[in-house]
Amino acid sequence: MQTILTTALKELLLLARDYAGLLVLFLMPVTLVVIITLVQENILQLSGQRPTEICVQDEDQGPFAQTMESYLETAQLQVRRWETSTEELRQAVTGGTCQAGLILGQDTSKQLQHQIGQQLVGESDVDSSISALSLDLFFDPATMVGFRAGIFARVQIAAQAAELEIKGARLGELLTEQAQGSAGVQAATPAGPNLREMFTSTLTSITERSSHSSQSTMAEVLNPVDRNVPAWALFGMFFTAIPIAGTILTERQTGIALRLTAMPVSPLGLLAGKMLAYLGVCTVQFLLIALVGMYLFPQLGLQAFSLPANPWNLLLPICTSSLAACGFGVWLGSICRSYEQASTLGATAVVAAAAMGGIMVPVYAMPPLMQQLSILSPLNWAITCFSDVLIRGNPLAATLNDQGRLLAFSLIMLILSWKRAYR
Amino acid sequence: MKLPQEYNENAAITAEVLCRQYKGQPEPALDHFSLSIAKGEFYGLLGPNGAGKTTIMSILAGLQVPDSGNVRIHGMGYGRHGQVIKARIGLVPQDLALYQRLTGMENMWYFARLLGLSGQEAQVRIAESLEFCQLQDRARQPVLTYSGGMKRRLNLAIGLLNDPWVLFLDEPTVGVDTQSRHLIHQQLRQLHQRGTTILYTTHYMEEAQELCSRIAILDHGKILEEGAPKGLLSGSDHRNLEELFICLTGQQLRDD
Repeated sequence: MQTILTTALKELLLLARDYAGLLVLFLMPVTLVVIITLVQENILQLSGQRPTEICVQDEDQGPFAQTMESYLETAQLQVRRWETSTEELRQAVTGGTCQAGLILGQDTSKQLQHQIGQQLVGESDVDSSISALSLDLFFDPATMVGFRAGIFARVQIAAQAAELEIKGARLGELLTEQAQGSAGVQAATPAGPNLREMFTSTLTSITERSSHSSQSTMAEVLNPVDRNVPAWALFGMFFTAIPIAGTILTERQTGIALRLTAMPVSPLGLLAGKMLAYLGVCTVQFLLIALVGMYLFPQLGLQAFSLPANPWNLLLPICTSSLAACGFGVWLGSICRSYEQASTLGATAVVAAAAMGGIMVPVYAMPPLMQQLSILSPLNWAITCFSDVLIRGNPLAATLNDQGRLLAFSLIMLILSWKRAYR
Repeated sequence: MKLPQEYNENAAITAEVLCRQYKGQPEPALDHFSLSIAKGEFYGLLGPNGAGKTTIMSILAGLQVPDSGNVRIHGMGYGRHGQVIKARIGLVPQDLALYQRLTGMENMWYFARLLGLSGQEAQVRIAESLEFCQLQDRARQPVLTYSGGMKRRLNLAIGLLNDPWVLFLDEPTVGVDTQSRHLIHQQLRQLHQRGTTILYTTHYMEEAQELCSRIAILDHGKILEEGAPKGLLSGSDHRNLEELFICLTGQQLRDD
């Protein structure tokens, strides 16, 4: 422990004397967040144009549900049938497993047919007594506004089309019965204005519900800043891997590594000390960026970054993400032979991992192959943690899987560097 | 500190039939190399570039493991007692192994803590080492403001922090001005008089002749001649060590 603390203190002292390095370390990510958020403000709000999976829970099991599903497919929405409970669907959507969830309630078809029947018999007061059949639609809180609007519109059109098809079929049946001269049919045939009303009005409506109990209304749409701040803060934090690698390379090149190897200390302790020091650096980086998001963004015409109800919930994701970044830095320093190598390899790897992990473009907007590959990126695990806490309002427990991955990644990196770093 | 049973007060360094072959190299860096240095000896390793000096130094200081053979420091092997040995040896690398942005004091403090020194003991050892290398006045200034000679002295001072049983010095006077070199020589003599065992590599023959109680001239990973400087010269026609060295290792340039 003494080795770790002593090394951490030494690293902080070295950093404190490197004014240019400090400027780069803290100013670079802040600048990045401000610029990227300004640039992406509109793009993120307007994006969301590729085929999307929608989880549909069919409690209706009737013709409306079947027709609706086929129209959803036609509208380029990949329907995934949800066989378990509504609560589990709600959790899946909140957790980001599904971007959208639709519940086709029990007896929707029956009620719809009953209401169509009422319209067809031409009761004058029918319209006022018929209440619209509400279909519940949930969205992953981490999805963008434009994306939601697109899905909502397509679901609405599919519902209207399904309703129209059922209305047409019912009318066709009625006309057939009339043509066959059934008694009493004449009286039940709707008059011209009623028929027009029947086809112009809709009996079904889509209600956008919150997928999370803590959100009262979906009018509270995603604030892109809440995604951009942690996303680009993480990007900056992972870039600290390069200065960490630099410290190891300097020690190797100046003979300090030889001196350290000849001392009664484990390289693990020395590397862990470095990670501890840079854990502090990354935490300060994140806090700085969060403060910029909270106080500077509104001055620039952007929305303010909002902290979760319990801001302490952010602490653990910040620590595990930082450790993953530091672990990567230590490994980078152990495999590279020069600072040029480390800076090139480090920067390329961080940009690639950020792109793959959904920092630049949300994972759900990527092609299927990249969506599958995204789970390999530590930045994906990290941004998922932050989205869970900041956007989806999930409890910290919901992030433990991803935090475990980050911690495991950090430990693996440390172990891989153990024998190599000071060789 | 409790010492293990294997501890032998008199045999400072024992190396038995060390072999080391680097990948891709046609010749072994060490070829059945054996060496024994008694406690309190000032032992000089002389050899041209590529003779195996650094490899020997690395293996004896526990920085690398030989392909075969044994190393014992005061009777103890690195395999079982690595931590005990490392706490009681001092290494002064050829490079200036210092954090340039830290002050001399901060460098000393950091390495002292890694050596397990703390509190009063650390303060005393740091003060003694600084005084020994005459760096007290500049101890609180960043190392990057030091002259080459001061850096060399600080490099040596750090090697002395734990009052080592054995001090490994890899060309400690390279690129040093005459005054600093003179001071370093004086300090090394003092250490020798105090009973510290010193293993010293250098390219300066007159330095070895002046300081070392025993020297070995090696090439191709083997010792060619070994003995006290005067003894080596008295049994030959050579006027000084340099002539003997050239005679043993040849005049061919060694660039690697």
